[in-house]
Amino acid sequence: MPAYTLKIRRYLPESGDAPHWQDFEVELDGHRSVLEGILKVKGEQDGSVGIRCSCRAAICGSCAVRINGKPMLACNTHLEHAAERSADDGAIVVEPMGNMPVIKDLIVDMDAVHWKKIERVTPWLLPEGDPPEREYVVPHENMVDITQSMACIQCGACVSDCLSMEVDPLFIGPAALAKAYRFVGDPRDGQHYERLKDLAEDPHGIYDCTHCFNCIDACPKGVAPMSQIMRLRRIAGSDHGIDDRNNGHRHVMAFVENIERNGLLHEADLLPDSYGGKFHPRAVPELVDSLPVVVRGLMRRKVTPRKALLHPHRKDYKGLRRLFEKVEGREERVELNLYISGHEDDPAEAEKEAQP
Amino acid sequence: MPSHDVLIIGAGLAGQRAALAAADAGATVAIMSKVHPVRSHSNAAAGGINAALNPEDTWESHAFDTVKGSDYLGDQDAIEIMCREAPEEILHLEHLGVTFHRDDTGHLGTRAFGGASAARTYYVADITGQALLHVLYEQLMKYHETVDRYEEWFTTSLLQDEDGNCNGAVARNIRDGRTEAFRAKAVIQASGGAGQAFKPTTNALICTGDGIAQAYRIGAPLMDMEMVQYHPTTLVENGFLITEGARGEGAQLFNKDGDRFMESYAPNKLELASRDVVSRAEQTEINEGRGYEDGGLALDITLVDRKRVLEALREIVNIGRDFAGVDITREPIHIRPGQHYIMGGIKTDVTGQTDIPGLYAAGECACVSVHGGNRLGANSLLDTLIFGRRAGEHAAGRALAMSMPDGDLDARLADENAWLESIMARDAQGGRRVSAIKDELGETMNRYCAVFRDADGLRQCHEVVRRLKEEGERAYVDDRGTVFNQDLLGAIELGYMLDCAEAMVVGAIERKESRGAQYRTDFPQRNDDEWLKHINVSRNGDDVPEVSYTPVTMTQWEPEERTY
Amino acid sequence: MKVAYWPGCVSRGFTPELHGAMAKVAPLLDIELLELDRAACCGAGVIAEHNQELADTLNARTFALAQQTDGELMMNICSTCQGSMSECQERLDASSDYRRHINGNLGDEGLRYARGVVNKNLAWLLVEEIGLDELRSRVKRPLENLKVGPFYGCYIVRPTERLGIDSANPRDTYLHRIIEALGGTVIDYAGAYKCCGFPIITMNKEASLKQAGRHLSDAVDADADCLVTPCPLCHLNLDLQQPLAERVVGREIGMPVLHLPQLLGLALGLDPGELGLARHVVKPTSVIDWSNAVVGAAAG
Repeated sequence: MPAYTLKIRRYLPESGDAPHWQDFEVELDGHRSVLEGILKVKGEQDGSVGIRCSCRAAICGSCAVRINGKPMLACNTHLEHAAERSADDGAIVVEPMGNMPVIKDLIVDMDAVHWKKIERVTPWLLPEGDPPEREYVVPHENMVDITQSMACIQCGACVSDCLSMEVDPLFIGPAALAKAYRFVGDPRDGQHYERLKDLAEDPHGIYDCTHCFNCIDACPKGVAPMSQIMRLRRIAGSDHGIDDRNNGHRHVMAFVENIERNGLLHEADLLPDSYGGKFHPRAVPELVDSLPVVVRGLMRRKVTPRKALLHPHRKDYKGLRRLFEKVEGREERVELNLYISGHEDDPAEAEKEAQP
Repeated sequence: MPSHDVLIIGAGLAGQRAALAAADAGATVAIMSKVHPVRSHSNAAAGGINAALNPEDTWESHAFDTVKGSDYLGDQDAIEIMCREAPEEILHLEHLGVTFHRDDTGHLGTRAFGGASAARTYYVADITGQALLHVLYEQLMKYHETVDRYEEWFTTSLLQDEDGNCNGAVARNIRDGRTEAFRAKAVIQASGGAGQAFKPTTNALICTGDGIAQAYRIGAPLMDMEMVQYHPTTLVENGFLITEGARGEGAQLFNKDGDRFMESYAPNKLELASRDVVSRAEQTEINEGRGYEDGGLALDITLVDRKRVLEALREIVNIGRDFAGVDITREPIHIRPGQHYIMGGIKTDVTGQTDIPGLYAAGECACVSVHGGNRLGANSLLDTLIFGRRAGEHAAGRALAMSMPDGDLDARLADENAWLESIMARDAQGGRRVSAIKDELGETMNRYCAVFRDADGLRQCHEVVRRLKEEGERAYVDDRGTVFNQDLLGAIELGYMLDCAEAMVVGAIERKESRGAQYRTDFPQRNDDEWLKHINVSRNGDDVPEVSYTPVTMTQWEPEERTY
Repeated sequence: MKVAYWPGCVSRGFTPELHGAMAKVAPLLDIELLELDRAACCGAGVIAEHNQELADTLNARTFALAQQTDGELMMNICSTCQGSMSECQERLDASSDYRRHINGNLGDEGLRYARGVVNKNLAWLLVEEIGLDELRSRVKRPLENLKVGPFYGCYIVRPTERLGIDSANPRDTYLHRIIEALGGTVIDYAGAYKCCGFPIITMNKEASLKQAGRHLSDAVDADADCLVTPCPLCHLNLDLQQPLAERVVGREIGMPVLHLPQLLGLALGLDPGELGLARHVVKPTSVIDWSNAVVGAAAG
């Protein structure tokens, strides 16, 4: 049986020692999990190694850690894959999750960060009025849709590597916002507008997400928190007309209208339009603040005054307007939810299509 | 010293449901769990929850299926209550926000499940347990002003006064290592099963029979402990569960010769016969050489429509991919029977009361008994919620009618601390490591106390368990710290598992017949004349436990031959 | 090789040096650029945030235009384009019904997207289509002693599955390999795969610039001479906004940021003046001075 080196980040607060690395060697088949490796260490070599774990089957969410620098569940990461991705000479580096204080070894204080943010989004159903005699009648698709959010096992992997949270610890974060979608997408909840208004207006709310995809990659259950955040933005802005103070909705609309008009992005318009327009009271202090940048840009001839004020319109782009009107003019948005539909895998279909 | 009307130990479905019910009844409530509540093993229950909600269905039909499923060992009054109250409970949960699956009209939809005469299993994809658990936890967060949560506190003992009443518990805060005595007028044990006494098991590492052993140690009898359910479809690799829901959707079982063998064992229900029947069929196929080289049989889910698999069996797709390297939509997956659930537990009545005044139990750790000799799929979730609620209500009622027990608990707390210290002070030379003893226990139980048993094997098993109990007293730990000392807790859990294991083996030896999950090759027939009764196991100091009997309560149904 | 070439918006807007550098570098790699001048913005993820069908339609249109050329495949020079387009392509390729619906939107222009377009960023094209050995053989001015920190950013490395990143195609290491093939020294630093902050520049300016500032500072601390990035939007936040980023993190940075075609151009022997390096806000003085000094040596 192959041997694997587990390089574990130790931290024992009572010892007075600083955090340090400790290497352990275990002999196990390569397709066994990193968690099994750590449990073998605990059982046979050093029982003081601390890691939360329970189900061993990627359901309970206890064992999220960082392996080779990325957040994931220890129980569904195979030893051989982890060793392959090692940047440390084959050693599997295991350390606690990020963005949360460390209690001991691989155990972090989830209450202080993760759960606090979950509680921030009022994570229980707020129905309107009295419940019906039997069940609420809700469309099948809605329940399947929010099952994606419901699949969240609260492991914290998304929170661990959230880049917005790294620079802005007050950001509500991917797990909590995915949880918020569970209610906004649930027809039985009577407070969709209130929830969205709250989260859109909060400077650390839905518009604080820096769109980095880390949470989508980290999630072991396909919850895709960033996609849920984008849905919240979409519903808040387009369906409820919430014009937040963070310029979030304005920025999106400015971008869309910019492309509709010009075909290609006209950056000089984008910034002021995001604030409300070139001469809008909100925009003026921002533009004044950005003046040095503008001046530098002009000096370096990145952009000429003519290019900044006008935008060479291409004739072809006029046709785009019709396209925009057609799609945006629909009664209901058309959305393909891959979580529900899955991916077609029919080369024959593609063949048929490729024919002229 | 914290004191509450009702103290609940265990925050799975039964515990959380009890907490909400007790709080609604006006009691002050504390709920304690050695892991964060959403880590409780309830979240692994995949397939669904049964209720006769469909207007064309009747609770009597559900009850009969349960009675038959139990091989007539289930107490029919308890079963009637559970089945009668099930529809209302489902609606209550739906109103709280559980994201149950819907049919095309937007009403609650069902799927087929094992041992049922009608489709009455309500579900959320294949994460029903998780969905229920998380929605109940949402409610507990909402109730934060009325329910005190003690998350990551490990209960070490139950407290008992000189009159034998249970009046609280001692627990250790896992994060900082301090122990505390919790006073309560009523205590509800809801700490789950003891599957970790077997190796392999579908159960989580936390399922070490804590509550069962703690109750046993203060004199509560354990009932039907020999009834251990082996689930038919667990991964050959590591014992992980593949939900019965797969068979409910149309998956089929095949041996290495490509035969759909269930046709000969259960010609009507085939793969959806009750679990003990399917497990025995599989084990027979394997024992007679028709299994694959890896020791398993094939579960073919490719027969289910791919889109349906993605919608309703997503978890199995993940499990197949992550743990067996198989895409279940394209090829069969290898499974075999594995330990999964214990029908037995702390003996209770239909209000959750045990024989110890003040002590209640609900969920897998309890034995009411609604499952008798075998549990139907999707009845466990129902059991936890119905009896969790009932225990919570009754405990609240008891608490509100009495005053808080007084009495000095300092000495008791000091004793407990001394005991914990003594465990940490054990000499490395004198003992084996906890994990070694646990592995030996698990392998022994899986060998002699599994699908097929006999007197000889059980006797050997008992000898090993007795020896391991003695070794367990000297098992040593590495960690002597206070912060998150999991090592110490492991040593304590080992003791709990050994107590539970002994009760299981003693019960299996005592029952000289085959019924439900207990199959004795030396007594292969069911013997209603002599054995239509429950077997209780009670502590007898450090000696072999004592055995007694309780009659089975029958209301409507006389035992019949049980075929599927 | 002929490629259907989508330059994106910003390379022709606020980072014109990128478009220019690409045009100069292409012939040196025998790449014939068939520019898709009728194609429109990819949406940058922002249009998809607002309306997925709209973003999918715009990109299906671009793919259809690419499929009309005789390019072997499609190439882009912007990570954000790569990421946004991959997201839309995933949806388009996943369902023939949906594809039919989107193609219905394109009917007026007589365009039609056929499933399975191959769209690669320049960095991927270099490694997968041209090959590192071939690239190495064309280097005229090895970037000796130049310490380059790769800034991947987000859209070209996550989500890994959608972008086809696996052990067979370790696309999340391509910048490393390209730098080495060009003779440079790779500098690893903490911020290499993190976010430049551009997406939230109007919503939370401080958090946006703090990200840029921190990652640039990490590179300074790791002793990089410059960064290289495959995304002009990242370039805007890292270069154009660097002075503001310095203010937010409270330290002087002075880290030049190069576009990938510029780095290529230097190594393939082009004159630094031709590559628009003077248009950067943070002057790549170390790069230019060093290159000038070596030009004579290489020619001699």
